[in-house]
Amino acid sequence: MSLSSEIVGPELAPDAPPPPTGVDVAGRSPGQLARARLRRDRVALVSGGALVFFLLVAILAPLIELVYGVGPYDQFQEKLRRSDGMPLGYAGGISGEHWFGLEPGSGRDIFIRLVYGIRTSLFIAITAALLTSLIGITLGTLAGYLGGWVDSVIGWVTDFALALPFLIFALAVMPTVELRFYGPRDEVPTWFRVAVLIAIFATFGWTSMARLVRGQVISLREREFVEAARASGAGLGHMLFRQLLPNLWAPILVSFSLAVPAYVTGEAALSFLNIGIRDPTPDFGVMIFRSIDWLQGDPAYVFFPGITIFVLVLAFNLFGDALRDALDPKSSR
Amino acid sequence: MRTRVAAALALVLVAGACSETTEDGPSADQQRTATGVIATDPKDSLGPAPEVPGATKGGTFTVIREVKISHLDPQRVYSFAGLMNAPLYARTLTTWKDDGKGNLTLVGDLAQTPGTNVNNDCKVWEFKVKDGVKFEDGRPITAKEIAYGIARSFDPDLTGGPTYVQEWLADTADYDTKWDFKANKSALPPGLTTPDDKTIRFEFAKAHCDLPFALSLPTSAPLPPDKDTGVNLDNQPFSSGPYKITKHTPGVELVLERNEHWDPATDPVRHQYPDKFVWTFGPDPDAGANRVIADSGPDQSALAFNGVPSALVSQVAGNAALKERSIISPTPSAWRLTINTQRVTDLSVRQALNYAIDRDGFVKSVGGEAVASPITTLMPPATIGYQKYDAYPAGPTGNPEKAKELLAGKTPELVLGVGDDHPEYGTQLKGNLERAGFKITVKSIPADAKLDETKKKDNPWDLYLDQWAADWPSGAAILPVLFDGRSIKAEGNSNTSLINNDAINAEFDRVLALDPAAQAPEWAKLDERIMKELAPAVPMFVDVAYYLHGSKAGGVFISSVFGYPAFVNAFVKQ
Repeated sequence: MSLSSEIVGPELAPDAPPPPTGVDVAGRSPGQLARARLRRDRVALVSGGALVFFLLVAILAPLIELVYGVGPYDQFQEKLRRSDGMPLGYAGGISGEHWFGLEPGSGRDIFIRLVYGIRTSLFIAITAALLTSLIGITLGTLAGYLGGWVDSVIGWVTDFALALPFLIFALAVMPTVELRFYGPRDEVPTWFRVAVLIAIFATFGWTSMARLVRGQVISLREREFVEAARASGAGLGHMLFRQLLPNLWAPILVSFSLAVPAYVTGEAALSFLNIGIRDPTPDFGVMIFRSIDWLQGDPAYVFFPGITIFVLVLAFNLFGDALRDALDPKSSR
Repeated sequence: MRTRVAAALALVLVAGACSETTEDGPSADQQRTATGVIATDPKDSLGPAPEVPGATKGGTFTVIREVKISHLDPQRVYSFAGLMNAPLYARTLTTWKDDGKGNLTLVGDLAQTPGTNVNNDCKVWEFKVKDGVKFEDGRPITAKEIAYGIARSFDPDLTGGPTYVQEWLADTADYDTKWDFKANKSALPPGLTTPDDKTIRFEFAKAHCDLPFALSLPTSAPLPPDKDTGVNLDNQPFSSGPYKITKHTPGVELVLERNEHWDPATDPVRHQYPDKFVWTFGPDPDAGANRVIADSGPDQSALAFNGVPSALVSQVAGNAALKERSIISPTPSAWRLTINTQRVTDLSVRQALNYAIDRDGFVKSVGGEAVASPITTLMPPATIGYQKYDAYPAGPTGNPEKAKELLAGKTPELVLGVGDDHPEYGTQLKGNLERAGFKITVKSIPADAKLDETKKKDNPWDLYLDQWAADWPSGAAILPVLFDGRSIKAEGNSNTSLINNDAINAEFDRVLALDPAAQAPEWAKLDERIMKELAPAVPMFVDVAYYLHGSKAGGVFISSVFGYPAFVNAFVKQ
């Protein structure tokens, strides 16, 4: 499990080319080895490419809007059928002007709303994942390294957070917090809802990371190099950040890369339940929620947001898997 | 494997892409207007009802609905499903003769005529009971049983039903304290008398010219006192109509079979074509519609009572085979964008809202003309005496320029309250009104609390959507209820605009005192006057009923009174 150079180094030997005489044997660090393995993995390359693409789309959304010429809030209701609000033309109104067609009823452009939806979703998911990782790593290392009553207290808090039912809590918190900060005539700004969403995810999401890190730290803290550092009189900060953490990056990275897609779907689910992002703001969950009603009538409306969130989450998961394989070849195959 | 996945994806895309959506969709008859009022000729109230062309006897007619009918006890029936079901087993003093095209005549049902206004002041009414009307056990129906039916509606345990007649007789909204039914079971409420077995007489303290309309509700269904099982009557009502309840499993199934003691010669509206009516409860609206679309077995003679869900509209409309099995018709259920006149006191702002509104866009966002039909009047077109007008002509998509002109450079900041079940309404209205220079804040209200909150006098919002479906198609059941400011209280206001104008209030009193037949044109005039002088709301649309039935079901039409499928003419094709 552990990736400390002392342990992993020798075990990688079978993977390395056989030691022929007269050929240069280059010394490679675990990082270089992992990169080399990633490069050999086609799935990793493709999914990594997809991730970069989605990130670029999210960051460059305003630029895409400029080139595309349609905004996420523009309505084209004159292109809808009078009788039932369906987009005129083929496959939900796909045309050179509207690449993925129009939403039935509101007549907004699906493509540009997807682009901005990716932006909302990825921002929330990545921020939430970063925040949960930060909390989880800090509490996990502290609990694992210090042990004793600190470990017990953090363990209790972890158990408590795990025992709280997430959905019920989210359902209760969202309107309450809104009422606390905004009067009956004030608009609740989107950034506030985003912040509350991230806070809810952070409150519940850090436990798995904390447990993972704690276990790793416990298995590391009795190792010789840790003992040696401690014997040399290293302080707590040095022990945690210089001795232990560098050996934990692999599981943390893997866990992080798997947490992001979980938050993408989690955020979509909350918005689907009407407690996340609300309608005018472009968002995956809201789009899928609205489109489900049209599954039989306008499949194209369900297809594009559905396929996009599917590809996005699949890419994250595949890349996370590949990353784990590359960093920790023992764990699979 | 990979090719198979690709093929499946391609298939999905092709399936979605191969049919073009064109303008040629379903649409309702926009100009359906109710005409006629109260039958003056006693012959109109005579049976039998004219035969329905093509109707045959026999078979089982199935009605599929998601949830059970809330009440079956006639004195407690008030839901639309209940009101459409009740005529099968409960007769009333008066009833509507309805051709399903908006031509309505109020006729006597158990009564020989739709009432006699004895002193022409609407304070004393008399009804003569027909000969030959019988209960399901063959006993004759007399004025005594009809009066007992009305008396038991005073029982506070029998909740849920309409309260018009009770409140008018007691002359107070707390009618159950004024007259205690349980303590006086053998007596009758104040003002209600039966001088003989054939006569029933109402005497009111105030004029109530709408009494013949109010008695068309099942409150006036008869019941012999020995058959009164109190709250249990809700499971097994005692029939006076062409069908009687033979099996009832609450929430699952309700079976009605022919009542052989019902005499068609006494009944001006009902028929007795199918052997049985069966209500099946359970399937959700999609499942119900899909069962009727599939049209197999018993579903061939079925009707999906939850209608065509908006997501299925395009699919149903695009299928030519379903066209002759679908019924599409506007209903009297009218939606308006209410303006809280306590907050928006500036008339020009309210008028500007009326110019700015994009009804076409809103109707599209609701689901198109198969679901909603735009209106510019406060009363729906299905009201007796309706006159079409547009007080603020701005075209179907609104006139933002004209609105800006009225606003004269102001940018009023308005808060729009929207139920959180339909955030898209807020998005649509915000986009629409901001184009005309308003600044709109959309505030979402929990859907289950929206009705109660917007009915409070001190609610914090400027605009909200409201719906009103009157209990009978007369302006008297619409305009005074919605716009008479003297009845404003702290909570539970139907006057959600909170408008209070002395001149208009006086007009209400004047018109309400007129004979019902003379009222109709006056309401139409008053409707226009309210919109022009006060603009307390923006009329939006009426709901459109869109129903599907199986290939063997016939005779179903949309009630011009309630906007739901009526079963009095229903039959099963053999």
